[in-house]
Amino acid sequence: MKRAFFRAAVGLTALPENQLDLSRFLRWAAHDHILGQVAAAHVDEAGGKLKDVLENARIRSAHDRRMLTFEADRISRALLGSGIEPVLLKGGAYVAAGLRAGRGRRVSDIDILVEDQRLAETEVLLREAGWQGDSSTAGDYDQQYYRRWMHELPPMRHGTRRTLIDVHHRLLPRTARLQPRHDLMMAASVKLESTGLRAFSPMDRFIHSAIHICADGAFETVARSFIELYYLFGDLEADDRRRLIDRAAEVNALKPVASALWAVSHYFGSANAHAALRSMGVMKVGVALRFILRVVVRGGRLAPVARLALYVRSHYMRMPLAMLAKHLFSKAFKRGGQARATRSGG
Amino acid sequence: MTAVRVGTLATRRVGAALAAGRLNLHLGPFSTALQSHSAKVTRYFCDLYRDCLVTLNEDEIVDYTLRVGAPNLLRRFVRPQIVPDPGFHFPALPLPAHMAPLALEMGMNLTAALQCFRFVMFHAGVVAKNDNAVMIAAHSGGGKSTLTAAMMEAGYRLLSDEFAILHRSRPVLQPYPRPVSLKNASIDVVQAFAGNDAVSTRLEGTPKGTIAYRRARRADVEAMNQVAVPKLLIFPHFTDGRQPGVTQVEPADAAMRLVAGSPNYQVVGEAAFESTMAMFDSLACYEISYGNTEDSVRLVEDLFQETGA
Repeated sequence: MKRAFFRAAVGLTALPENQLDLSRFLRWAAHDHILGQVAAAHVDEAGGKLKDVLENARIRSAHDRRMLTFEADRISRALLGSGIEPVLLKGGAYVAAGLRAGRGRRVSDIDILVEDQRLAETEVLLREAGWQGDSSTAGDYDQQYYRRWMHELPPMRHGTRRTLIDVHHRLLPRTARLQPRHDLMMAASVKLESTGLRAFSPMDRFIHSAIHICADGAFETVARSFIELYYLFGDLEADDRRRLIDRAAEVNALKPVASALWAVSHYFGSANAHAALRSMGVMKVGVALRFILRVVVRGGRLAPVARLALYVRSHYMRMPLAMLAKHLFSKAFKRGGQARATRSGG
Repeated sequence: MTAVRVGTLATRRVGAALAAGRLNLHLGPFSTALQSHSAKVTRYFCDLYRDCLVTLNEDEIVDYTLRVGAPNLLRRFVRPQIVPDPGFHFPALPLPAHMAPLALEMGMNLTAALQCFRFVMFHAGVVAKNDNAVMIAAHSGGGKSTLTAAMMEAGYRLLSDEFAILHRSRPVLQPYPRPVSLKNASIDVVQAFAGNDAVSTRLEGTPKGTIAYRRARRADVEAMNQVAVPKLLIFPHFTDGRQPGVTQVEPADAAMRLVAGSPNYQVVGEAAFESTMAMFDSLACYEISYGNTEDSVRLVEDLFQETGA
């Protein structure tokens, strides 16, 4: 059932004909924030209430695209003359490069990657251009935690436009078990005509997406993530597909890439992804992870337990256990106290 | 199934459909799938929405889904609470379970305010006569809802107490006739002229004080697809005992104030600008001050006459 939903969501098949399936499909898509993508993949099919729902989603995602384009422009303006050329990551890059993965995508913040040694300068320049530390992470503990251990600065929010920017200096936390070679990926990045910013090469875009989804995220919006992987993989030229596994090995991201290929092959029936996975030979995707993901996607009674398992896994992947224990302790007590005092939540 | 009026269904049937999440409310431009286990929600819904159209099935395509229920399992049974869940993360304050009607109405407001982009939404009450509309802009303590309810008694139909819903392609307003929310002293005022049957039981001690709801009338609901042309925009200022007064407002100022209260103007973008400007081309804008409801109705009626509507 859910596999049929995934395929309909990207336009591989028509929308469900049966009215009950269609209504379930739309509620699933709304819940997983992919209605805009569904609306982009099915432009001519709608009438009646279906048309209303898809049109509504299109207007929303058109706004996100405008916002992203504008913010990318403001970022390159803020860094003008400094010689810093940040790499736009994720949704920002997909939209700026006009990729299928960016069509109809809901975007709430913008992610950029800069070289570690230019990080401090980038932060200063963005501050001068109006971005400030966001109040939700303004506390001392959060600030130190981000700066000492994480792969990004604490999120910055623009003072008047309220848009959020994450400035990365690596792809995973300093403490993560997996340490991908972002330096190699940055070196292979390409300039985006539209913005003066850069984006990863098509191959590295897929690899980074795999890293982000399978080695960092807690799979909060599984459908959105897998659709992104499907489009990015589908956009690879035959030559890139052949070199993908070697590149994954080179940048130290074999495991997440294997999981990503499994998802694309399993949920979208992609023969190419299946072949790429087979070519990895002994590399197998963890049976446990696959099982848990299937439970999450299917939904139902066990889904919350599976989601908890993924949440625990995401933290396990991020830092050594002793450190994790200390962090969770601080989060529960120190931040709890702060949140109560300032009502800023957390 | 074809849509039926809530009042023609047994309360038990509505309750079962609500519990199963199979109740779809079709009101104005929006369909909303409602889910709730609360008997208080059911009772309130059967009473205040009795003239509204619903379908009872789960294969309906809807604009929004809204669950109104306990924030967690514990709070379903121990000192029970209720909170609206519009299907996306929103930090709504859980309320004591007896305030179920407030949770439902807050949830209905949230679903439309934060998820509608097909129309430009403004925070205002709207009434109309002969399909010419008066918009009553929201302003804390201004008396928007009291004035809206009073205009209903003066022969105007209710489009909405909460949202002026503007089409993107032409400057006309779409009705969404849900109950009018009344607070504190205005409950007595409205009950006095609309009658006891028109007003719900009171909820005491809510975060907004005492609250009650005035039902949209059958005629309001029957005209729910009939658009109206905005002719008059009112910014009301109620001060107890004050002499009535009228001040004209520059259209540009009025537009800025109205846009500031829109939850989706920026998101809709250029079409919102075009349609709003077209609306202001033929809109008279006034601030009115008054000390009692009769004065406010008279002021609005006079200004409405002047527009030639």
